[in-house]
Amino acid sequence: MADRKEIAGLKLKAALCRKNVLRMVRAGGHGHIGGAFSAIDVVTALYFYKMNSDPMNPKLESRDRFLLSAGHKCLAQYAVLAEKGYFDKSVLDTYGKLGSCIPGHPNMHELPGVEANTGALGHGLSIATGMAMAAPKGEGRYQVYTVTGDGELPEGSNWEAAAAAAKFGLDNLTVFVDNNGLQISGKVTDVMDLSPIEEKFAAYGWSVKIIDGNDMEVAVDTLDKLPLERGKPSMILCKTVKAKGLSFGENKVEFHFWNADMDLLNQAERELDEQIEDLRKEVEVLQ
Amino acid sequence: MKGDMVDPRKEFGKAVTEAAAANGRIVVFSADSGKSSGFADFVKYYPDRYFECGIMEQGIVGMAAGMATAGKIPVFCAIAPFVTARPYEMVRNDIGYMEQNVKLVGRNCGITYSDLGFTHQSIDDFGLMRLIPGMVILAPQDPTEIDGAVKAMLEYEGPVYMRIGNPKIPVLFDEKPFVIGEGSVLKPGDELTIISTGSSTKCALEAAELLLQEKIHARVIGMPTVSPIDRELVRTAAAQTGRIVTVEEHFADGGLGTMVTEVVSDMKEVTVRRLGLPHEYAITCGSYEKLLEYYKLDAIGIAESVKEFLHTSA
Repeated sequence: MADRKEIAGLKLKAALCRKNVLRMVRAGGHGHIGGAFSAIDVVTALYFYKMNSDPMNPKLESRDRFLLSAGHKCLAQYAVLAEKGYFDKSVLDTYGKLGSCIPGHPNMHELPGVEANTGALGHGLSIATGMAMAAPKGEGRYQVYTVTGDGELPEGSNWEAAAAAAKFGLDNLTVFVDNNGLQISGKVTDVMDLSPIEEKFAAYGWSVKIIDGNDMEVAVDTLDKLPLERGKPSMILCKTVKAKGLSFGENKVEFHFWNADMDLLNQAERELDEQIEDLRKEVEVLQ
Repeated sequence: MKGDMVDPRKEFGKAVTEAAAANGRIVVFSADSGKSSGFADFVKYYPDRYFECGIMEQGIVGMAAGMATAGKIPVFCAIAPFVTARPYEMVRNDIGYMEQNVKLVGRNCGITYSDLGFTHQSIDDFGLMRLIPGMVILAPQDPTEIDGAVKAMLEYEGPVYMRIGNPKIPVLFDEKPFVIGEGSVLKPGDELTIISTGSSTKCALEAAELLLQEKIHARVIGMPTVSPIDRELVRTAAAQTGRIVTVEEHFADGGLGTMVTEVVSDMKEVTVRRLGLPHEYAITCGSYEKLLEYYKLDAIGIAESVKEFLHTSA
């Protein structure tokens, strides 16, 4: 269980990771910032609080696996991997450039810490299910975590994997559905309403929980409780805000993919710098 | 023993099961397709390594890729279009792009599901699979080669698609190691070369015999690895015989014939005739033998096409 200081430290990490995302957006001039910012708190909590992961040994057999089914949110993944030390932060400055190892959708062959080549939606849950199936039963059993978008859930392959994960009793598999409620064309509930998402997963045999996915304390508390139930895969429906942390972009569909305006980008960086400063002080006070 | 008639699916399942005894990394996925794929013994001996998922080919391909990332060697066998066309994007991304060690096996391939219609026939699988970089495509030509190809594909690290048929096929060859990427001359000849793959090779060999009765000396090359194709063997034959006829249970466009044509495209005075199915949906139903006859892919049909080709390309 995390104390206040640890929570404050994780919030600081999340802010630093958001700053890393902006660094990539500045380099490339654009990026899928909306989903990256909505999911980044959970991804930060996973890497800095929960997962058995070692940036110096990214292929360790017993490592926990994280893969981003919603591959377009990869700025969040790159930001967290960089902050964790999987690669030098100067790599972030190559985003959008010729030959960069951090393309708009992740490539496991190019970057340490990336477990799957996602981006085509509806693939991640199947791959994660296979990874969880392959885990040893006793010693060396690892956990598999994946983040899907809410907009990708209509892909039928998700539900194929959902059925299989339940049949095989994969309690080492957790999916976080980043339920920010917006996709390119508008509200997810208007485009293809799958609500109640949690009841659908429950009906497939999953154990489910709904949380505020941008509240670090809640996220960490949830991670402490995994698996939600022995013998069942877990689905955490993360209620999040698209572009969370981008004061002018929150909950706006235009920020699903952002062709960055430099003035706004500068503003976002200033605001994050202030937030980072405040969080640093908070962490120091709690020392 | 040569001439014995063997069920290709049983031979395939037996070979995987034998390999699994020595290699604990081998696992099998079933989309309600395992028993029909010859895995009855595998289920019996290795129940913990057999995953019945029901009919969900897209999900299975993803899961197989996920398992392969952790060192397993998943084998997934089902009716050919359901492991190729149906989950194509998963094969392309999760197995191909991720370079995972997954073995896809399409059974009842070609037009062997003759009377079940176009949905169940697989006459585009070579074309689909060859466009995935790094995908090895195997089409063993007799039961002996099925056994060898299974062993070779399980030892090979990387994505493989293998196709096998449905009706019993005769043993044509003595046992020998199967080498991925190698074809072989099955019958010498210097007037033209017939290049065939899979179960078409039996008909190609018979056609060569019919042609010999008319004093036409056709070389026959068996090409059990469709991709990567044995370029040297093809080019040597093209240089020596000038004329090439390809035979496959596949669209005449986009499969073995197209690949052979690509290989010889820069060679002067080489002509290629591609025998296969017309590129259309109007595939007639009927018994397998009748369909082969209808599409001139049986021995008599191949021999007639060869003679016509010799006449028109003279």
